[in-house]
Amino acid sequence: MQLRSTDTEMGAARSMNGAGPHPNAPSEGAPVVSHLYRPGVSYDEMFEPDGAVRANYAALDARLATLNPADLAERQRTLEQSFLLQGITFTVYGAENTTERIIPTDLLPRIIPAAEWSRIEAGLIQRLRALNLFLGDIYGDRKILQDGVVPRELILGAPSYQREMIGLYVPHSAYVNVCGSDLIRGQDGEFAVLEDNLRVPSGVSYMLANREAAKRTFPGTYRSAGVRPVERYPDLLLSTLKSMAADWRAEPQVVVLTPGVYNSAYYEHAYLARLMGVPLVEGRDLVVLDNMVYMRTTQGLRRVDVIYRRVDDDFIDPLTFRRDSGLGAAGLFNAYRAGNVVIANAPGTGVADDKAVYAFVPEIIRYYLGEDAILPNIETFLCREPAQLSHVLANLDKLVVKAVGASGGYGMLVGPHATVQEREAFGERVAADPENYIAQPTIQLSTAPCFVEGQIEPRHVDLRPFILSGEQTVVTPGALTRVALRRGSLVVNSSQGGGSKDTWVLQGDEAQP
Amino acid sequence: MMLARVADSLYWIGRYVERAEHVSRLSDIMLTATLDQNEAAIDVAHVALAAVGEAVEEVAERNALDAVHNLVFDREDEGSVVTSLSRCRENARQVRDQITTEMWERLNLLYLRVTGPDAEHAFAQQSSAFLHGVIADLHLFKGATDATMNHGEGWRFLLLGVYLERAQLIARLLDVCFSEDADRPPLSDHLTQMAVLRMACALEPYLRVYTAELEPRHLLEFLMFDEEFPRSIRFSTLRMEEHLTGLARATHSFGHSGPERLAGRLSARLEFADLDEDQGAGPLLSAVVAECSRIHLAVYETFVAYPLELRLPA
Repeated sequence: MQLRSTDTEMGAARSMNGAGPHPNAPSEGAPVVSHLYRPGVSYDEMFEPDGAVRANYAALDARLATLNPADLAERQRTLEQSFLLQGITFTVYGAENTTERIIPTDLLPRIIPAAEWSRIEAGLIQRLRALNLFLGDIYGDRKILQDGVVPRELILGAPSYQREMIGLYVPHSAYVNVCGSDLIRGQDGEFAVLEDNLRVPSGVSYMLANREAAKRTFPGTYRSAGVRPVERYPDLLLSTLKSMAADWRAEPQVVVLTPGVYNSAYYEHAYLARLMGVPLVEGRDLVVLDNMVYMRTTQGLRRVDVIYRRVDDDFIDPLTFRRDSGLGAAGLFNAYRAGNVVIANAPGTGVADDKAVYAFVPEIIRYYLGEDAILPNIETFLCREPAQLSHVLANLDKLVVKAVGASGGYGMLVGPHATVQEREAFGERVAADPENYIAQPTIQLSTAPCFVEGQIEPRHVDLRPFILSGEQTVVTPGALTRVALRRGSLVVNSSQGGGSKDTWVLQGDEAQP
Repeated sequence: MMLARVADSLYWIGRYVERAEHVSRLSDIMLTATLDQNEAAIDVAHVALAAVGEAVEEVAERNALDAVHNLVFDREDEGSVVTSLSRCRENARQVRDQITTEMWERLNLLYLRVTGPDAEHAFAQQSSAFLHGVIADLHLFKGATDATMNHGEGWRFLLLGVYLERAQLIARLLDVCFSEDADRPPLSDHLTQMAVLRMACALEPYLRVYTAELEPRHLLEFLMFDEEFPRSIRFSTLRMEEHLTGLARATHSFGHSGPERLAGRLSARLEFADLDEDQGAGPLLSAVVAECSRIHLAVYETFVAYPLELRLPA
């Protein structure tokens, strides 16, 4: 397949060779993106199907034409060193030695033109507005259940439905203050929502760290491309959190609650606390007295107004939720009920990002906003419906089947990649407990060029933008692009061999060199 | 205003940094001294090992390089350089939001170097250069702390840890050399005296004051009482007092159990001490170690583990 552009100078020079071997290709000094790049059937972020470079990638393409694999490898090393130095690592506990690894990060940015982004942005805001209204409704009047738009038992029977939240006032009806939705781009090039993460989404620190790295790796390209900045995120997060505090608390004290240094996202918790300039607290730093939350400081107890918690619902208060939790503070939920503290995200938001509820989100948007969803869902089969279950069981080899409660890429079957035995075993589990499973067609995630093992190859990517919602709802113009680093793999989760790369949202639709 | 847990961690970062530096320096001096095959060399090794609390008889059997290797790399050893640096970094990670990136990167780099796969090889190849590198990196960390961190509460907790640890370490070193009940000959040899000064990083400052005519009595007085030498016990206790007073002011905690009062008392005792009257340095040195432990406990009770009912907001 010929894959050279004609729209840049460098490209034009090389395109004379047509489909034939590039004169420099096999040698060490060869530019890295060349005819050797072979996207598959998926939509490729950089190349048109005919091999031309998309306009939003023109600047990067021109830069890459001046670099050889050794240059890129050198940059990759510098980048990894810098991540290691900053401590952007997770710990691998071995028998002999405890080592620290960085989350694999790819050098080459993923570039999104302005027109695509504005659609994503509008779609995300619409979706989160509707989901927040939905949460307010199901913990309030339950109109949507009475009207039969969403099955009652699907909500009220879900383990993530927190009865303790019923009837509570939530300012601006902003139950979800921080949302990190997972989007994918299918073969047709359209973005769709794969998953709403409404509990304690993570990854935003990688968005920021990747950006810092990309600016150092490709400074000239970054400047000429006209990239929208992401650096305001911590500031926006802080003002979102403050907007949730009661009006009469003039200078609300915000804190970040972390499970502690052994949590895999600890780096992010510390990073956000540092960039917001607020204390990073652990459960043991908090004390609840008379339904007020305090932190233990060197000056005695200090009142806390807003807790950006990075601890799951079940662990925030041993008196209300899991008794064996040492990660939260006893009495925290009662203080929350009394309106003396804000917990962000609110407890009980998980019920709305349940994989079965997901199927109803387009209906939910229509119900509350009277609009069609701007960003479509992936077609989803609910195994709880007998007709859909039999379709799923008959087509296991074509579908991805997921457990409703699980996340992180666990408890799922990727039909086309599974063996017959695996499919049969999984099918039995689904038939035995259909309510717990949904199925979706296998989607070819789009591919983007990644620098892997000394050359540039296509790898599947998704997109996780971050939406903040308090008094206002805003989307930071950037995202975490997660990469399935194994060739052909569609699993982008960092727990399963995924990496990430920076995401450039352009001011315009083209990035000329 | 800062979290009690954070204050505790910063204080311990200071203590571990100082401890790692001291043990690295003693190790280096011991290695250099034992290149000479003589009595003084063995004496120096004994002083160094006793000063960091190693069992001396046991170690004398082995050669110095093995002993030093353990002082640096033994993770089982509470006082080894690797143990101190690991704990220091663990504390730093827990308060990552409270220290500056410059401080963190210094410390993290050093930690990765000392615990990395190449560390033992680098040490085996060039032990002295390796230890010099560790000490220089710790100086850089302290420099970055001074130059980039707010000189507020957290900075004071960190430095309080540094000086408290330093006063104790120097007191132990002198105790090994000068206390009457030590079962070793007094510090008579010129080379040993030089080595002890080096262990306190004091050789050049001492020479400036007393010239190269080394006198055990001068050496003792210099390391205990000099007001300007930053590693003398007196200098360290003065800084402790200063930082504790600053902390009491910042946290409005005057009159609790008063670590600043204890530090002031220790400073005064050192200021008016007379070695002839006090029958030698032994009792005073023991008092320094004991008082530092009391200050440590008082700090903990005042700022970290206070009873809640006493400290409700106004």
